[in-house]
Amino acid sequence: MSLETIVGNIKIRNPLILASGVLGSSYSVLQRIYEAGIGAVVTKSVGPVSREGNPNPSIFALKDINGAINSIGLANPGYKHFRDEIKILLENNVQTIVSIFGGDVEEFNEVLVGLSDLSITAFELNLSCPNTEKEGMVLGTDPQIVRRIVENLRKKTESPIWVKLTPNVTDILEIADAAIKGGCDALVAINTLKAMVIDIYSRHPILGFKRGGLSGSPIKPVGIRNIFDLYEQFGEKIPLVGVGGIAKWEDVFEYILAGASAVQIGTALGIAHPENKIRHIKNNIQKFMKNEGIEKIANIIGGAHR
Amino acid sequence: MSKKITSFDSQPTMGKIIRIEDECEDTKNFFVEMPKKIEGVKAGQFVMLWIPGVDEYPIGVAGFKDEVLELGIAKMGAGTEALFSKQIGERVGIRGFYGKPYKPLENVNHLLLGGGFGMTPLKLLINTLKSRNRGDKIHVFEGARTKNKLMYLDFLQNLHDKEEIKFHVCTDDGSWGYKGFPTIALEEVLQEDSRQSVIYVAGPERMMKVVFEIGKKYPNVKDMQMSLADRYMRCGFGLCSACTVDPTGWRICIDGPVFNKEQLEQITDFGEYIRLATGEKKRI
Repeated sequence: MSLETIVGNIKIRNPLILASGVLGSSYSVLQRIYEAGIGAVVTKSVGPVSREGNPNPSIFALKDINGAINSIGLANPGYKHFRDEIKILLENNVQTIVSIFGGDVEEFNEVLVGLSDLSITAFELNLSCPNTEKEGMVLGTDPQIVRRIVENLRKKTESPIWVKLTPNVTDILEIADAAIKGGCDALVAINTLKAMVIDIYSRHPILGFKRGGLSGSPIKPVGIRNIFDLYEQFGEKIPLVGVGGIAKWEDVFEYILAGASAVQIGTALGIAHPENKIRHIKNNIQKFMKNEGIEKIANIIGGAHR
Repeated sequence: MSKKITSFDSQPTMGKIIRIEDECEDTKNFFVEMPKKIEGVKAGQFVMLWIPGVDEYPIGVAGFKDEVLELGIAKMGAGTEALFSKQIGERVGIRGFYGKPYKPLENVNHLLLGGGFGMTPLKLLINTLKSRNRGDKIHVFEGARTKNKLMYLDFLQNLHDKEEIKFHVCTDDGSWGYKGFPTIALEEVLQEDSRQSVIYVAGPERMMKVVFEIGKKYPNVKDMQMSLADRYMRCGFGLCSACTVDPTGWRICIDGPVFNKEQLEQITDFGEYIRLATGEKKRI
């Protein structure tokens, strides 16, 4: 029995990957999480130049629903600065997927080319951040732009390209189709759902940016549905990485049965001991596979399509 | 049906400002009445304070008694300016209590050293130590640029006069107490009293690093506990990692902000580098 899974042509030691945007601001925290036994890590999204992001509050928990809302707004040091941190990770054999963003085709090119000499496990394109005025959402909701960006980047790197999809569209399959035609190696779904919280006493939206994205348990059924739909449409044509609301080992299998080859965990790790949670989930993945007689992850991908 | 509040660690819980005191120059104490008393706030923990429509930032807790939260705040930047313009009766949002607190040891001398608004968590620590009533000696060392910048001067002098603490106060310009840095009196105490001691510090990180190096020279220093809360934080509960330190990957907001001597030795960023809101590292 093996926990190993394969996304495109990348072998990952187990199907649990750290999602972008959480515990991903520095090489040291990424390394810490990788050493706890997670399959691979995705960095916080890096763009062409440094950004402070949106004013605070830009992220807080929604305990009642076991979720969180954020509008961090792509705060990042810029790829030139972050390059050194990525290098440390790669030197220490941390399987590192680098999330990148840009405001247009040229900016995406600049960031990817600026990092393409490093042997990065994969690039994850953040085409779907809902928390900025210009970047992200506009790009990720237009199939023609998505295709153009992916096509362009495809020519510039040997590293696999994963495309992270937003659920905030009428038809996710149309965007997915454009990304596949552009030449991507995997699809990652879903990013956060458009959301907002208003304080009834001060009558202010709480987030500094007013609007934000919802993550955590409440979005899990949305993620499952999207992965199920994507798998039904594209089958084995494109590997899928499921993300959204994973907090327990059961959630991992739910996503895999919907069609994911691997999953990403984020919000659930905003706790005192993320290492313990990772170990707990991993141990239980193993236990369940043993009990159910599952030899390898690949045997059950898309298993709920019957 | 109103929900039972058991913590303030979700979206901001709104509290009402019921009292504002001038503490020292550009520093006020805000007393915020919360909808419920939450047990267990410990010295060194902090809250994320939300000024609706303006900003949110971490603030050390100076006290929490009878549903009233005490926050000592110095004016610095737009967020605190907005707070200073608030009137009694207006509301602010609170998330917390976050972070690892100071963990006072038993049967030791307690040496508390603070600068600036670093005094805030130390005020709560003093009250905690006093309430334990173990007869351990408590020394408090405070330094500031000038007399008007000394926080909790009356509170500390009063405890000193009652012989509940030994208060060592100094200013850079000699306008109050002795002229010089608080480390001078700290070293004197460490030299004169060979009893095992624990040093607790909060304040600017460069100052803490100096104290740390001094403390390492004395075998009677059993532990040093320092708060790195004076760093950029976003979420406050360990999710975003904007506040991580290298090379350990510890998050100030949840693995800290108070770290002990053994931990501080491992944080090479301590006193050297901070991370900006962008994530870039910058020399302190």
